[in-house]
Amino acid sequence: MINYLSSYLVMSCIYAIMALALNLQWGYTGLMNFGIGAFYMVGAYTSAILTGAPSAEHVGGFGLPVIAGIIGAALVSGIIAYLLSFPALKLRGGPFAIALLAIQETLYLVIKNESWLTNGVWGIRGITRPFFNLLNPRHYVFFYLIIAAGALAITFFAIEKAVNSPWGRVLKGIREDETLTSMSGKNCFLYRMQSFVFSSMVMGIAGALYVHYTGFVSPQVFSPLMSTFLVWLMVMVGGTGNNRGVILGAFLVWAIWVGSDFLTDFVPASIATQIGFIRMFFVGSILGVTILTKPQGLLTQKLLTIELFREESR
Amino acid sequence: MADLLISGIIYGSIITLGAIGLTLMSDILNFFNFAYGDFFTLGAFSALAVLGFLPDMGTFAGLSFGWGMVIAAVTSICVTVSVMLFFDFIFFKRLRNIGVTSLFMSLASLGVSFIIRAAVNIIWGPKVRYYTPAIQISRDLPLGIRMKPDELVILICALILVVAVFYFLKKTKTGKAMRAVSDNKVLAQATGVETDRVIMWTWIVSGVLAAVAGVFYGIQVQLSPTMGWNFLIPLFVAVIMGGVGSFWGALIGGMTIGISEELITGLIQNTFNAVDIQANISVYKPAVAFVFVIVILLIKPYGLLGKRKG
Repeated sequence: MINYLSSYLVMSCIYAIMALALNLQWGYTGLMNFGIGAFYMVGAYTSAILTGAPSAEHVGGFGLPVIAGIIGAALVSGIIAYLLSFPALKLRGGPFAIALLAIQETLYLVIKNESWLTNGVWGIRGITRPFFNLLNPRHYVFFYLIIAAGALAITFFAIEKAVNSPWGRVLKGIREDETLTSMSGKNCFLYRMQSFVFSSMVMGIAGALYVHYTGFVSPQVFSPLMSTFLVWLMVMVGGTGNNRGVILGAFLVWAIWVGSDFLTDFVPASIATQIGFIRMFFVGSILGVTILTKPQGLLTQKLLTIELFREESR
Repeated sequence: MADLLISGIIYGSIITLGAIGLTLMSDILNFFNFAYGDFFTLGAFSALAVLGFLPDMGTFAGLSFGWGMVIAAVTSICVTVSVMLFFDFIFFKRLRNIGVTSLFMSLASLGVSFIIRAAVNIIWGPKVRYYTPAIQISRDLPLGIRMKPDELVILICALILVVAVFYFLKKTKTGKAMRAVSDNKVLAQATGVETDRVIMWTWIVSGVLAAVAGVFYGIQVQLSPTMGWNFLIPLFVAVIMGGVGSFWGALIGGMTIGISEELITGLIQNTFNAVDIQANISVYKPAVAFVFVIVILLIKPYGLLGKRKG
């Protein structure tokens, strides 16, 4: 039971890191990124390939230490985000979301079909788990919880620091009114790109943390629902633009998600097989109801002054 | 080459139907509806359900379906439109009244998309289905074209429907009101256009198009609970490419996406086969749409026939 709880906490921490990164994009910069799973996936696979043992089926076997894998994950996600930012950041709102969704689908196809790189649908097994040999396997989850919680804390303080700095104020300015911000002499494209690339790197790190926890990675884990829209739900439930809120949202949503596993024991077998779709149904319903009743999420953010100006000018 | 072109035209005509509905909706309701693809699925599967209830009514000469399919399609249109109006009533109408931004509306539509897809999965199961187990054989037409009779019927029906929607928008009072709202919402309201009625009609028109497109895809290929979601990217690419709100843009965009997805992957595959490179290109078919959207938007940010909105 305590193991189960720790495992829940580890995954919550990883999802919370994702949610914080998404919040930097959506909550602070107004980038509606429907392809965050792509960067999570790229991070996961980069780290798996860099640290993995040699294999006949796919490239890899660099056998690098885990920390190198995590840094590599951040770098590769960051580089991909940087390259994509030139076409994608020309778009705004809905079209941006579509473009990123398409990017995720495309990268998903690459990962699934290029088995020389990723071993295709069979996935990569036996990924290094840090210090696994030194510890009792039964207690390993506690050790990893410390790593994940530490990573979450670092991400939280880094992003909090960033959004409360002058840099973060420009981002909020872009979110509220891009024309106004560029009239104040800020290069909006550059700021949006920095936010996009930085949070993509964080997502890459989250992906690396995930594979070093499970020791296994396959494309199925990165379905749009699991890797992108669940994180969106966490941010929406927690409160757009509120870092404490999205962490709460991540823990809450993931609790509901894994909690429904317990339900399978209590319902007839015919319903138990459909639990995945029932979950999907609830993800959709919660998302809709949250937006309807509390568009700002559970923990609401203080109104910005710029918001007040807009009220007057209307 | 000719075969690729034909299958591209069929696929393109199905996308075009959806794209016209989606472009009207994106423009008049002023948000990107991510649930639109799932209404394809709903339309296709509700027709399947009706077919299951009906007695065998035979088939039209040479086709794989008969009067049963006509009844099923009409029923599925009614079901799809009712479900759309239901979701408008419980979600989107309220969100419009609250006055949330279009991005939040899009997020809510994402929720609706999950609800519908989950419901289809729960009711009909995740397996791939077919309307009929029969396999059709292509026949020779003049000019050396080979085509299944079903495909020809789909093409003609799609054409009739597009013309019908065009005349609806051009000639009827409701259609004119829809175009007025799309041009300038405030001005339209000031001249006495009832926005609520226009929005209802937008759901109805796009619902009809989504249901028919879903049924056509079911006849042409197969039914699966994820089919609508897979249509979403090509649909939006067609809309964005043509310019949001442009009827002709959606037509051009839909046909271009359909034909090029088939043609480009087919031609690359043929070239690879010719020079003996082992690669399966057809799996990357959906990526063609993605490349298109990037290229088009870099050249024309408001689409081919789009209008810049102030």
